[in-house]
Amino acid sequence: MKTVEDIFSALEERFGAKREMLDKWGMTVIVSANYLHNAAQFLKCESDIKFEMLVDIAGIDYLTYPNHEGPRFAVSYSFKSMSNAGARFRLKVLVSEDNLSVPTISDLYANANWYEREVWDQFGIKFAGHPDLRRLLNHVEFVGHPLRKDYPAQKRQWLSTNDYLLPELEQRLEVLGYKVIKRSKEVETNDNEFLEGSIKA
Amino acid sequence: MTAEAEKPNIITSSLDFIVNWGRTNSLWPFPYGTACCAIEFMSTEVGRYDLSRIGSEYVRFTPRQSDVLLVSGTITYKQAPILKRIYEQMAEPRWVIAMGACACSGGFYDCYCTVPGIDNIIPVDVYMGGCPSRPEAFFDAMFDLQNKIKDESYMKQRAERVKDQLEMIKAKTAEAKACAKEFAHEKVVDIKDFVAEKEHEVLKKAQFWKE
Repeated sequence: MKTVEDIFSALEERFGAKREMLDKWGMTVIVSANYLHNAAQFLKCESDIKFEMLVDIAGIDYLTYPNHEGPRFAVSYSFKSMSNAGARFRLKVLVSEDNLSVPTISDLYANANWYEREVWDQFGIKFAGHPDLRRLLNHVEFVGHPLRKDYPAQKRQWLSTNDYLLPELEQRLEVLGYKVIKRSKEVETNDNEFLEGSIKA
Repeated sequence: MTAEAEKPNIITSSLDFIVNWGRTNSLWPFPYGTACCAIEFMSTEVGRYDLSRIGSEYVRFTPRQSDVLLVSGTITYKQAPILKRIYEQMAEPRWVIAMGACACSGGFYDCYCTVPGIDNIIPVDVYMGGCPSRPEAFFDAMFDLQNKIKDESYMKQRAERVKDQLEMIKAKTAEAKACAKEFAHEKVVDIKDFVAEKEHEVLKKAQFWKE
């Protein structure tokens, strides 16, 4: 298993993965969602070329893609090897609209936490087992998922008040051993701050 | 020489002129920089272009001490409530300059996350084009703003303010009067009830003693 080809064959054997023909670099493999976690663990720890770095997680919406058959969504994981310079690999999971759920790999790669939150925010794909699946880029009152192809691109949503990050902060303080006894009045949200024409959450 | 200095030095002028003269020549900006326009503002501020030539040398990083809010950059929907809050924290008189295409109209960001022009959130005095605007354009905008301030009348604004205050005081007084009347009415009703009760009791007692 010294080359990427060997990894392909090993993944085919173990997890029934298929090669993605559309990828012009020939480094992409399609795995089913059930085997995703195992495949990622295999790439990180077991294979000869170890892919220690998760470069990106990208959501894909195939709604307006020409000549596409199969599930509507896909999630693509890009890996990079630090020990073997220049080696890259990509896993792809097809997600159908009926079951928008993919297992999380945030226990293997710590940075997957925020990538998965982003994919959830923009495409609405849930990650089962994720510790804190909230919106990352859009504001809390946002309705819908803006990078889906059927989201009207110019639809705008007003935010009525700024994001309230205090509960999360307090949670982190409590993890560090502090305890919040009383929250001061000044930091509570204020009804006067709501902008005109906004939805009150 | 001493005799001349002892003479009273008096200049006659209108209050409007004096106030506007002071305001135009000490416009302290508050830079609300979110994108590349803020970099252009930096080059306007320092050595080569030198904004302090027109009296705006102090860039104040607190809204309490500044006169002009410079919105330089893209404003997203997440940013909008913060901008509004900053504007509300500024003391009167206050002016706003929208710097660059993004602040004026959203620029080329025609999408779900960008506010299409900050005039949806706060009132704007001067719009400035460019992506990003050149320092010369910035100076032009400052001159425009100065001309606008020179046209304002401090006395008229003050008269309006006093009128508003008078109306507010009148409304409050009327409200208080109505409140007091109602309260008095309630009191009277209470007292009447009380008296009626007492009379009733007295009558009862009288009857008891008769028996």
